[in-house]
Amino acid sequence: MVNPENNNWHRPDSKMIGRTLFLMVVCGILCFVVLFIRLYKIMIVDHDFYENQAISQQTRETTVAASRGTIYDRNGNALAISATAYNIYISPYEINYYDENIQYIASGLSEILGVEYDSIVEKSENTESWYQVISSKVESEVADQVRELINEGESTDGNGKAVKGLKGVHIEVTSKRYYPYSTLACHVIGFVGTENTGLEGLESVYNSYLEGTDGSVVRLSASNGIELLFENYENYNDAIDGSDLNLTLDVTVQNIAERYLEQAVEDNMIRNGGCVIVMDVNTGEILALACANEYDLNNPFILSDEDYEELAPLKEQEDQTEYNNELRNRRLAMWRNMAISDTYEPGSVFKIITMAMALEDGVVTEDSNFYCGGSMEVLGRGGVPLNCWKRAGHGNQTLKEAAMHSCNIAFVNIGLKVGAQRFYYYVDSFGFWNKTGIDLAGETSTRGLWWSDEVFEDPNNLSQLAAASFGQTANVTPIQMITAVSAACNGGYLMEPYIVRDITDPDGNVVYSKQPTVVRQVISEETSRTVCEILEAVVGEEGGTGKNAYVAGYRIGGKTGTTTKTAYEVETGKREYMVSFCGVAPMDDPQIAVLLVLDNPAPMSESGVYISGGAMAAPYVGKIMSEVLPYMGIEPIYNTEEEALLDVTVPLLVGDTVESAMASLTEKGFDFKVVGEGTTVTDQVPNANAEISAGSTVIIYADSEKRTDEVTVPNVMGMTFANAQKTLASYGLFMETSGALPTNSNITVSNQSVAGGTKLPYGSVVSVTLVDETSLGFY
Amino acid sequence: MSRYSQDSYENGGERIVENPYAKTKVRRVEYQRGPIDMPFFLLTLIILIIGVIMVLSASFARAYYASGTPTRYFTRQMLFAISGVALLYAASLFPVSFYRRMAMPSLYVSIFLLALVLVIGSSGGGAKRWINLGFTTFQPSEVAKISVVLSFAHMICVFKDKMKTFKYGVLYFGIILAIIVGLLCLEPHISASLIIVAVGAIMMFLGGTNPKWFILGLVILVVLAFILFNTMGYVSGRITSWLDPFSDSTGDGWQIIQSLYAIGSGGLTGLGLGQGRQKYLYLPEEHNDFIFSVYCEELGFVGAVLLLLLFAMLICRGYWLSIHCRNRFGSLVIAGLTSLLAIQVVLNVAVVTNLVPCTGISLPFFSYGGTALWIQLVEMGVILSISRDIPLKRSKKKDGVEEK
Repeated sequence: MVNPENNNWHRPDSKMIGRTLFLMVVCGILCFVVLFIRLYKIMIVDHDFYENQAISQQTRETTVAASRGTIYDRNGNALAISATAYNIYISPYEINYYDENIQYIASGLSEILGVEYDSIVEKSENTESWYQVISSKVESEVADQVRELINEGESTDGNGKAVKGLKGVHIEVTSKRYYPYSTLACHVIGFVGTENTGLEGLESVYNSYLEGTDGSVVRLSASNGIELLFENYENYNDAIDGSDLNLTLDVTVQNIAERYLEQAVEDNMIRNGGCVIVMDVNTGEILALACANEYDLNNPFILSDEDYEELAPLKEQEDQTEYNNELRNRRLAMWRNMAISDTYEPGSVFKIITMAMALEDGVVTEDSNFYCGGSMEVLGRGGVPLNCWKRAGHGNQTLKEAAMHSCNIAFVNIGLKVGAQRFYYYVDSFGFWNKTGIDLAGETSTRGLWWSDEVFEDPNNLSQLAAASFGQTANVTPIQMITAVSAACNGGYLMEPYIVRDITDPDGNVVYSKQPTVVRQVISEETSRTVCEILEAVVGEEGGTGKNAYVAGYRIGGKTGTTTKTAYEVETGKREYMVSFCGVAPMDDPQIAVLLVLDNPAPMSESGVYISGGAMAAPYVGKIMSEVLPYMGIEPIYNTEEEALLDVTVPLLVGDTVESAMASLTEKGFDFKVVGEGTTVTDQVPNANAEISAGSTVIIYADSEKRTDEVTVPNVMGMTFANAQKTLASYGLFMETSGALPTNSNITVSNQSVAGGTKLPYGSVVSVTLVDETSLGFY
Repeated sequence: MSRYSQDSYENGGERIVENPYAKTKVRRVEYQRGPIDMPFFLLTLIILIIGVIMVLSASFARAYYASGTPTRYFTRQMLFAISGVALLYAASLFPVSFYRRMAMPSLYVSIFLLALVLVIGSSGGGAKRWINLGFTTFQPSEVAKISVVLSFAHMICVFKDKMKTFKYGVLYFGIILAIIVGLLCLEPHISASLIIVAVGAIMMFLGGTNPKWFILGLVILVVLAFILFNTMGYVSGRITSWLDPFSDSTGDGWQIIQSLYAIGSGGLTGLGLGQGRQKYLYLPEEHNDFIFSVYCEELGFVGAVLLLLLFAMLICRGYWLSIHCRNRFGSLVIAGLTSLLAIQVVLNVAVVTNLVPCTGISLPFFSYGGTALWIQLVEMGVILSISRDIPLKRSKKKDGVEEK
């Protein structure tokens, strides 16, 4: 075709040079200009878009969990704390990539963590995954064991070279919530879920303060997920730890309240639980709040053994829906904070409010007289007479006596004097229609549970007004009741109850602070003083229905309450009771209010206790008062009569001469008996520091052996103070008293710490609770 | 030391004997071949050095993950670059007449190798493109590119004025291109076919083929492309991912998206040499076809413009040399090889910036690959060899020799 030997050397012609120039312009200049424009578009104009896209695929973010804030009681006791815990997870991708031995991993982890071997193997089969949690929130000792397993494991460097140390098993730092007091104040504190987010109680309400802000570490990583080599791009966002809650709650008071709530529920065979609230009358601070359906905050999903027993048949069913639903319902019931979420008919406790409004409006005075003939006609009841709890009637009474007697007839008359319109005005003023505003989740609103204005204020039908006057068919929450009673006693100021006093951030700065908040003044200070006087009489004076709450040395006031559940009875035809007592002390300068509500006590035939607020609730409120008031630094002031009836501490006599021992016992009001012929006391019964009832006989041993045999405890239930003391002494036992002071023969033993028939060492002390039998009745 | 005639610029430095028929005796002069063109050589060297450094930066991550040795690719590339510069210098020593003699044989060898690769070639990525030499592999298509330039230049010189005719200006060249492209399509190797057709066309254009044939050729090309688009799945997929790479971001669009991320991340000044992130297994072929993306990510718009300016300067210098070459063959070879370089650089950058559909075109002096680098440097050596015969200064040597 072409002969290369046919050399023809010529200069390029001008046409060719022209075409080359054309190419130079096109290939050497124009094309590059186009490329510059294109690069400018990508690198400068769209730079942000591409950079963001690139960063989002190149980075892997690791969360650094913020430490959740601590919840402290008012004295700095930690109620809820967060501690470091560890999540153990595997990365099947890495296990696969580095060719690690899954048998070794699964058997090791299963042994340390108690997780099933097969489930670990199963998780490891998902080799696309980087994150399969094997066990969450384990303690540091367990994590240490896993770390050892990781260090001893065999792995490869990704190129087949064997190296020590597993790369597919990881330990992740997280935090775990601990509740050092386990069940204490469970309904107040609440708990957190697996993600450390508050689910109930304060943990939920104040979650945003407590949780803090998680930080993160952003690291670049290669497409295969391995961290970049020689790369120092790391972006740290420090975690901001959560703030601490400082509560108004007092662990000691809470403990006392819970102990007596539990005892009240047990002693009275209460079937639907109960609740107790201790409130600072003047500020609205909650010192204690407890419900009987307690649970362990550290294991909030675990029901009681009885619950599981009852659920067992459902669990065996093929279809688990019913079981799961029931499980859920029971959990919700267990977590339910009755004190703020449930309503009840307050009964006679509401008479405090009726009385306060009547006094404030001046429609009655302390000197007003009320006659009770046992029943009365009320317009709108269709001729059915309204009965007093005491069918025989209370006869003529002053206002104070009517309150002491808790006379329904008298209070219906007082209510009628106030009138429906003013009555409703006060019900609203005392805060019964609005949420109190307490900083707990789940407070119920009650306006819808009352009659409408038209119905209530119907001049042709006074039956509603009559019932509401003594607290029947009116629905309130326990927190509303105690808040209203506090207002009636503290000078008339309705306070907003609260439980979180302040919140401090990790640096100690106060980020939230709650001051006592007056919602409104409902009644005058003068009216409030009168109410206090009358309430003190209910507890402290002869014939008062609240006598059982009396604590020697303290001026306690209060009001009992006993109701049937009207709505429940209408619906089911069954009768259930609600008993309560609201106490306030000390009445010369009210400091605290205690409300105890007990739902559905067993009939008297079973519990042996007469169904009434005075018999069932008042004694326990008294007990709470008897411990809380001294704790709060309020000193008891006894009258001489009371002092003689108080328990006395036995002095240390061993080592003294018999004569001086006899002298000191006489001085303390004890009788004594000397056993033996010696001159020095070698032993004594009971031991020093025992608290025993006044007038007991202390036995002194002088060079003689102490009796050490066991004696059978007699049953002293229902005996008078004197009889009980005598009976116990005859068995060689001593008596310690609590409850009412044995001022008269009506005071009898309602409870003994050691049941009759039990064996006790000679000289032991038996505690008894005294109660005024005459105060038993439906009030 | 050799003696050259007055005419030596025009005959490619060929030593000619005294013309026995000359009426007057031409005085023999001593002529030494000139030096290589320094600007062209230095530009090549600078681009080569940057390229080798970029291979290190772009490849160390993959090299580490794959073999545990981050410098694996770099070391090889550096050895090829050093030996390649030696080859360049050697190529610059051969006289132009040598290349002219080699022109046609190189074409036959190329066609033979293109046929051979279909038989003994090693496969990769669904195509048979490489011949294994034991210590390295090479693509016959790279040899075909230079041989097309050389042979077409020679043919144009021989055909001279007949280039205007269809037979000489189109048919012969067309047959050669058809054979080569046919063989390449059997591999298949679309991008090499495109480059060779383009270079061939440029050579014909320079040689004086009537422009109307190019219009006709373009029409044929469009029709062919349309057929390819409809019949070959992988071609149509690439067109779709070109038009909207994000429509299939994990499939066909993946590599172009990763490339755009890399380039876009660079911004004005880049992340710094070695600091790129896209090379960490996101960007495929990061030390090969997409090395320019890594370069943009690390050195930014400023760096990219500077590098492209270097390339543009090299290319313009090449055409400048072509224009100043005093013999037709040399001029055509320089223009052809320069155009070859320009096509590859422009196409590579256009691909990684998604200006044109994605196809495997490497960036000369940058992309990893030993034999390709050798051949590119030899091409530069050929240009430099021809440049020796160009009077760079309008000195006395302009007219060749001093009459004495």
